Amino acid sequence: DSTLPAVAEELLREIKKAFQETSHVPDELLLGLKFIFGPCAVPALDLVDQRSVTRVRSPSGRTLYQVLGSSGKLYTCYSSCHFCTCPAFGFSVLQKSESLLCKHILAVYLSQAMGACQELSVSEEQLTNILLAEEEDEG
Amino acid sequence: RGGLAERLCRLQNRERSAISFWRHQCISDDNIPSDKSGVLIVRILEIFEECTIHVTICQQLEQSPDTLSPEDAVINAEEPILKVLFTRETAAHLKSRPQDVIHIYPPWQKLLLQNGDVPVIMNTYFSQKVLLSEHSEAREKTHGLTKMLIRKNIISLAQTFRLDDLDDELQRESSDNQIACAPQIHNNRDSKQHPSALSAVNDSLLEMVESQGAVGWREVQVRVVIQRVYSLPAREGCRSHIQGNKPLLSNGGMFCRLCLLVQDAYGMFSEVQLQSLSSTDDIEQYCRKWEGKFCCLAGMKILQRTTRGRALGLFSLIDSLWPPVVPVKVPGQSQDSEMMTANLPPPSFCYILTVQSGEIHVEVDEEEQISNLYQPPAVHGLKEILRIDGCNERCSFWAQVVYLRQQTKHSVPTDQREILLFVTDSTLQNVVHGIPKVVAVSVTASCVLSTEIMEALSVGSRPVFFRDALWGNGRIICVERTVLLLQKPLLCSAAGADLSELTGPVRLDELDSTTQASSICALRGTVVGVNESTAFSWPTCDRCGNGKLELCPQDRELLYCNQCSDIVTTPVLKMQLEVFLSCPSRSQSTVRVKNRMSRTVFLLTMLLFLQTYEVQSVLGKEVGLLNCYIQSLTTHPNCVALEEIVLL
Repeated sequence: DSTLPAVAEELLREIKKAFQETSHVPDELLLGLKFIFGPCAVPALDLVDQRSVTRVRSPSGRTLYQVLGSSGKLYTCYSSCHFCTCPAFGFSVLQKSESLLCKHILAVYLSQAMGACQELSVSEEQLTNILLAEEEDEG
Repeated sequence: RGGLAERLCRLQNRERSAISFWRHQCISDDNIPSDKSGVLIVRILEIFEECTIHVTICQQLEQSPDTLSPEDAVINAEEPILKVLFTRETAAHLKSRPQDVIHIYPPWQKLLLQNGDVPVIMNTYFSQKVLLSEHSEAREKTHGLTKMLIRKNIISLAQTFRLDDLDDELQRESSDNQIACAPQIHNNRDSKQHPSALSAVNDSLLEMVESQGAVGWREVQVRVVIQRVYSLPAREGCRSHIQGNKPLLSNGGMFCRLCLLVQDAYGMFSEVQLQSLSSTDDIEQYCRKWEGKFCCLAGMKILQRTTRGRALGLFSLIDSLWPPVVPVKVPGQSQDSEMMTANLPPPSFCYILTVQSGEIHVEVDEEEQISNLYQPPAVHGLKEILRIDGCNERCSFWAQVVYLRQQTKHSVPTDQREILLFVTDSTLQNVVHGIPKVVAVSVTASCVLSTEIMEALSVGSRPVFFRDALWGNGRIICVERTVLLLQKPLLCSAAGADLSELTGPVRLDELDSTTQASSICALRGTVVGVNESTAFSWPTCDRCGNGKLELCPQDRELLYCNQCSDIVTTPVLKMQLEVFLSCPSRSQSTVRVKNRMSRTVFLLTMLLFLQTYEVQSVLGKEVGLLNCYIQSLTTHPNCVALEEIVLL
């Protein structure tokens, strides 16, 4: 069984705890992010700084995340598993297994940890459309 | 707050130069740097790869094995096991294999995982392989040519990260649903019928907090005294996303949480946040039933550990309860020894606890008598409060509201209103000189008011008890943790407070040179001018007050009200008038009184003007003792703008 996910999870928990207690993330934890997530870390933090992450919720409780990328494009990240519609995810994570996450998924976790998620409530139909739209693009 | 990315960039650059400097030093010196402190010495047992990180299972060694003989270099099962992570780049530099010994220099980081697994070492940039003997050097060269195959673990995408405890998510969901339910607090009698696996009762909050996470902490009960009960406005978790100027998440009513300020036998305070209340729930009944009583807390979750500097409001309340009225225990000493209270410094930190979702682990002992530790609010007359020296002092008093003004700014949402009250009591009214007759009390949005209180304030007929309001900088403000009550609290120390009823009508201070803006006063003077351009009057419906009456289509001599759908036979005349007065009490200023009332003495006086619209008819007329609210005061030109008001 794997080590890295548990380590990543613990690191993110520490960040959340530090942030909740002091509204501040200490340097060591930021460097830890860099160590574990590599080149994703700085871009992910930048996305958090820009408040680019939105949690989209439907009345039934289904959620997903939309992240506004630096190019202005909106990427969708799932909440039930690690998945993102960005090309970097397809390449680094799926194809090469070089990375645990892409910068968008990391930004989602960091935004959760620091309470920086925007919230959006949509209807069931709207949520379904967001999910289907991705499929159409790929098809 | 922004700039996390920038910060990490800077840290990263610093780190990178430190790493290259260190590596360069290692090569040139060819010796292990002499500073041994903080160096981790490990022997690699196993290596595998996850993403680009090399995970190595290692044994931590006490000392460098080159000091040991080859016979000793046997795997000692008792040496602690560590998981050391290396980046791909560091691993390439080390070219490490099982049985290699690595020295890891600081700064490295240790991470302990939730499941209590083997400790993990990261940020291992400053690592160096130690060659044990001359043979190994040769071996090293041969190995360097053959590429070692390392197992690569593929991580499942299904393995997501859980940042909250399970309970956290459930609690968030329940607060989203905003179900306000009656608190299911059992009193002692009920609990005997439902034996719960709760251990012996503790009396230290600190112990309970420190044992969090340890085995059996959920069953630990702490017995505390409830010093105060109040409600806090619900904290905004995330801001609602506004799409196209239409907020999709509307937050209509104000939701609040019932909170307790408790104190344990050691004098330590804690704020316990209980369930949600709607604004119609009566905080008063909770105050009556619970304040001063003992209660047992179990399985609390720590929301926050806050300090004086970060929670001024909470600590001003704690300070008002310090020092304790009975001696408190001192930790570390046996129970029987003398407990000292004198010279104990006021607390500098406080834990904010909350209940785990689902069950409520707070049992209030309603039957038992009031604890000796309880400090009821000290009630003072307003005269005494105005003389308090300090800043941010909590104070409690009874007062009658004489005028209420809503701060209606259109840019501010309705649930963030601020209310300005003008209050008085017999200590202020019965004095001749030196102190104001009426005091302004500002009620901020963070002070929760029940609908019953709001009604009482608007009518102004009964005295209201202001508990734990803040006094500072010459103003009284009602903020978070201030409670307004109608009933006299069961216990309060009325130290010389004159709680007698007001005899006679309320008198206001007369307008003079010391009058401030946003206050109320009385004035008298003579009319010196009328603003003819803004003077007008209009009829209003006597049933519903509708100011937009129309001419009746059938009979153009009659007035018709759309809202009542009926003819208005006796309309009420409303007038707007701006009058300039000369007031002897503040002779330097031009006094401009705006009036919109329907029936006041002033307007009746001015009726003459309104009938004829001749300024001459009212010039020189005496206007006697109007009650006004001062909208603004300017010095250049020296002008006072007032609005006539009616006292409650």
